[in-house]
Amino acid sequence: MYSDLLNSLPVVLTFTNFAVVVIGVLAGIIVGAMPGLSATMAISVLVPFTFGLEPLVALGLMAGIYNGAMYGGAIPAVLLRIPGTPAAVATTFDGYPMAQSGQGGYALQVAVVSSSIGGIMSAFALMLLAPPLSKVTLLFGPAEVFWVAVFGLCSIIFLLGGNPVKGLISACFGVFVSVIGSDPIFGVDRFTFGQLELLDGISIVILLVGLYALPPVIDLLETPLKTETDASKLGTEPIWKTLPRMKSYIKTWIRGGIIGVWIGILPGAGGSMAAFMSYNEARRTSKNPENWGKGEPEGVAASEVANNADTAAALIPALTLGIPGTAVAAVMLGGLLVHGLQPGPMLFRENPDVVFGFMWQFLFGAILLVFLGGSLATNSFARLLNLPRPLLGSVIIVLMLIGVYSINERMFDVYLMLGFGAIGYLMDKMKFPLPPVVLGLILGGFAEENLRLALRIGRNDPSVLFQNTTSLVLVFLTLAVIVGPFLKRRFFDNKKKG
Amino acid sequence: MKKIFMTFIALGLTTVPAMAEFPEKPIEVIVGFSAGGGTDVMARTVAKYLEEELGDGRSVVVKNKPGAGGQIGFTAVAEARADGYTLGTFNLPAALALTYDRKASYNIDSFTYLANFVEDPNTITVAASSPYKSLDELLKAAKSDPRSITIGLSALGGNDHFSANLLSSATGSEFTLVPFKGASNARTAIMGGHVSAGTLTLGQTTSFPNELRVLAILSDKRSPFAPDVPTAKELGYDIKMSSLRGIVAPAGLDKKIADKLRNALKAVNENPDFQKKMKDQGNPLAFVSGEEYANVARKQDNVAKTTWEKTPWK
Repeated sequence: MYSDLLNSLPVVLTFTNFAVVVIGVLAGIIVGAMPGLSATMAISVLVPFTFGLEPLVALGLMAGIYNGAMYGGAIPAVLLRIPGTPAAVATTFDGYPMAQSGQGGYALQVAVVSSSIGGIMSAFALMLLAPPLSKVTLLFGPAEVFWVAVFGLCSIIFLLGGNPVKGLISACFGVFVSVIGSDPIFGVDRFTFGQLELLDGISIVILLVGLYALPPVIDLLETPLKTETDASKLGTEPIWKTLPRMKSYIKTWIRGGIIGVWIGILPGAGGSMAAFMSYNEARRTSKNPENWGKGEPEGVAASEVANNADTAAALIPALTLGIPGTAVAAVMLGGLLVHGLQPGPMLFRENPDVVFGFMWQFLFGAILLVFLGGSLATNSFARLLNLPRPLLGSVIIVLMLIGVYSINERMFDVYLMLGFGAIGYLMDKMKFPLPPVVLGLILGGFAEENLRLALRIGRNDPSVLFQNTTSLVLVFLTLAVIVGPFLKRRFFDNKKKG
Repeated sequence: MKKIFMTFIALGLTTVPAMAEFPEKPIEVIVGFSAGGGTDVMARTVAKYLEEELGDGRSVVVKNKPGAGGQIGFTAVAEARADGYTLGTFNLPAALALTYDRKASYNIDSFTYLANFVEDPNTITVAASSPYKSLDELLKAAKSDPRSITIGLSALGGNDHFSANLLSSATGSEFTLVPFKGASNARTAIMGGHVSAGTLTLGQTTSFPNELRVLAILSDKRSPFAPDVPTAKELGYDIKMSSLRGIVAPAGLDKKIADKLRNALKAVNENPDFQKKMKDQGNPLAFVSGEEYANVARKQDNVAKTTWEKTPWK
């Protein structure tokens, strides 16, 4: 297998096969940076064209776009508090406060370096460990995946913010949204009011654009034409001067990278869960947790390393088992199928050139991110901030409308998005935190589906949830996350007294 | 003068037949699923070769209208103008099964059946590590402890669900059906040992020869893709189920246009390049067109209807 890996390298290094990765990364950054446009969409647009292209040309574009978009999402997250992709929500927590205090340039540099490192770790996992890691995926049946979802929901309880009651209400709203559509087992309609468009449930992109992008855009429209604040100064220093400062994030990078890869091989969770968990872990172990949420660069590092570490790893179950864990992976599988490349263990044996070449392209995409993202984002994209704010707001609204419409080409989604926008605006004004809504939607549906599948397998006997070691370990971890902080406080109190 | 005369003749020769000849503008093929899925890839492959058959730079455009398990796309085709410029992919039995389990604004008579391309037979499949080495062993276990055998499905109301139901009524054994989201999730659950068996289509099993064991195939004759696997009929259970993918148009399509399209699709099917592409994509071809295709649809409609009446799934 490792010789196949090396043999495929020369093919990837031909001019066209490499150039497409560069183009892909650039296109990905741009697409990711625009609220409403996502990597899935960009790659779907490509699928019809891939018929006429050589497999590695098409796949190289896709690998580049995927890597680029995962970082691109951080740009508006930092500069405008609008996550460009669902996975960049956690990047807003500290990235935006940094931009507010004139450190936007540094925040973007941390984001691009972390994204690149996450992508590199992920590509290595895909290249070297895909077959063994796919065995790990097989260990996770519905019962185990249910516990992963519960663990995820519990471990990010900090997202509830300063007012836990409001936070819980937000989370419940998210879980409620996940219930809309046909139920995962019997297909019974829930809260669809006879609308066919709602049968498949509410897409996370529509919710995210409405909830997260519309309120800040309204803020932009409300600000006077000429504002000279710290936020419009990026305060950028050359990257070679700032790189040494990032040394202290190494631990966060390694931890976030492992979390990202681990979440990646569990189909269905996706980059946003990886970013939230990595952010939480980094904050939990930080020496100064009180700075978090107020502009701690390590928070940006934690979020961005994890959401990029999810990318190539998500292709492990996709390529080895044919499970499209994320929407992007699903479209990529289509791109492979067009060329008669069917996922499965045979793929690695029969088409090593293409499969391993694709993996190299992922790695190069991740490395290129620093060079392309570093200069592009800090120098040109960020100039957008010098635009008059109402103008910038109007441009973003147009992008949002186009983006949401083009997901399924229907106006219904646009109205839905505007509805969520109104809810988001009210929640923002009433100080309800937004992240729990996103998480409730992602993990709520995930937990429900798997709990019900598990119970069905166990013929409604709940003991099926505790039947094997993997489940028990996850239950233990969940308990540790809930009880841990209390025990810790107690221990420290006793120590002080003693 | 002669030149002008010739030009007139030339113009006459080109314009007159063109006025009468279909198609004068691009043909749209509506796919009820997202770009990149199995049906979408088939549609794009057919579209490409159909363009070649129609010749003269005619274009055939694939349009994705995903949602509601394909229903949004099927409805769009049923409600389109029957002028031959709107076609659609058609998945049997799913497209008709969903007219029973929910409100749908179309039924079996809403379409002109042009041609079916793919027929992928269902199977009874277990993991390679499973203790069940034959269909009889699996059924014996199901009989000794009813409902203890779990069958992973891609959804309720699809070909794999009907396969499990047919097996259940033909053998008198009871199973616990577990509908996952999509065939690949069901397949992974079988491979991981989280469910005992599955009724995947043969095409969904062929990439995993070392991980899965196909016990029986639910068709009349053995498949060239898996010649060693016995049919259920050989094993004594006369059950047949498959997943079909074809091309339909709205009902009431002019017979001349329908015939022209059918002939073009037939020529596509005979193109060796096309056949190779379909084979690489894991799509077993089983071309039927016209009335024959409509009969297949009627048969599938009946299975869906009886299953729904006997054991409604929601």
